[in-house]
Amino acid sequence: MGREVAESCVDTMLMEMVAMYSARFYANKPELAARRIEAIGYQVGHQLSERYTMERPRFSDHLEAIKFICKDFWSEVFKKQIDNLKTNHRGTFVLQDNKFRWLSRVSIDPSSEKETEDPSTPGESKAAQAVSMYLYFPCGIIRGVLSNLGIPCAVSADISSLPTCSFVIRVKA
Amino acid sequence: MQFFGGSEISPSPPVPTASGNNAHMMYVFNRNGVCLLYKEWNRPLHTLNAQQDHKLMFGLLFSLKSLTAKMDPVNADKGNLGVPQLPGQGCSFHSFRTNTYKLSFMETPSGIKIILVTHPKTGDLRESLKYIYSLYVEYVVKNPIYSPGSPIKSELFNTALDQYVRSIS
Repeated sequence: MGREVAESCVDTMLMEMVAMYSARFYANKPELAARRIEAIGYQVGHQLSERYTMERPRFSDHLEAIKFICKDFWSEVFKKQIDNLKTNHRGTFVLQDNKFRWLSRVSIDPSSEKETEDPSTPGESKAAQAVSMYLYFPCGIIRGVLSNLGIPCAVSADISSLPTCSFVIRVKA
Repeated sequence: MQFFGGSEISPSPPVPTASGNNAHMMYVFNRNGVCLLYKEWNRPLHTLNAQQDHKLMFGLLFSLKSLTAKMDPVNADKGNLGVPQLPGQGCSFHSFRTNTYKLSFMETPSGIKIILVTHPKTGDLRESLKYIYSLYVEYVVKNPIYSPGSPIKSELFNTALDQYVRSIS
């Protein structure tokens, strides 16, 4: 049922969206670009959650909702399930995807990593920063889905080891 | 390894036609002559420095394409000699062979040229070049942090390419 679109179209559109926001609209303000992209993801997640929870009963608790995201929602959007779910039972959940579909073709050049290693800037190199821009959209999607299910939260992503990607959900009590 | 006939499905790599470590080197150019990738596996003799080598290779291909199109006894549509030809125009050569090496060439409609230099006894590599192009599309074009027209620096592409070329030679 429903109409289909080629995956390459979706992939290239996402790439272009991030490129537009980070290079043209908010050229020197990565924070604003990130916020904007995450807001777009929020809207998308909101609408997708309506579509994918149409036939289901209400979720009994937060864990059930998170499990729905890990299994059904992730299979609908990314054709696979979340590989690993961890929780501290106090409102923090870590979803780990061992081969995140939208980052499966990203690969950082190893030689330029060594050249541009700048000891004065703590934390990430430029390439890692560029890659992290692509994660705001999925984070927004997750936040949108959860908030439509009645669970306000904050979502962040961690890409210390590509192509494994972890999403950290902190439920606001 | 034994292969019982090639498979018909296009994404799968074709049957290897020779044995041993055959591939010498590989070039990928875009339509403006920028060398996007140069890889060598087995090149005992270097004659020029890298820049001149790339320019020589690109110039060679340009002249060969022009010449083969002009000398075509069958096709009526011939451009003037020296005028750059569109990728589909005229006939397109795909390989030449000398006593020491064989050069296989493929040009896509988007102007990406893939050249593979191998051992002279290598068979027809057109299907292999198509597969390499599909690897390029998969890992380079769809890589969000690659900017078109710049040299290819993707590790995923390099590994996949290396693995594949070693498997066909």
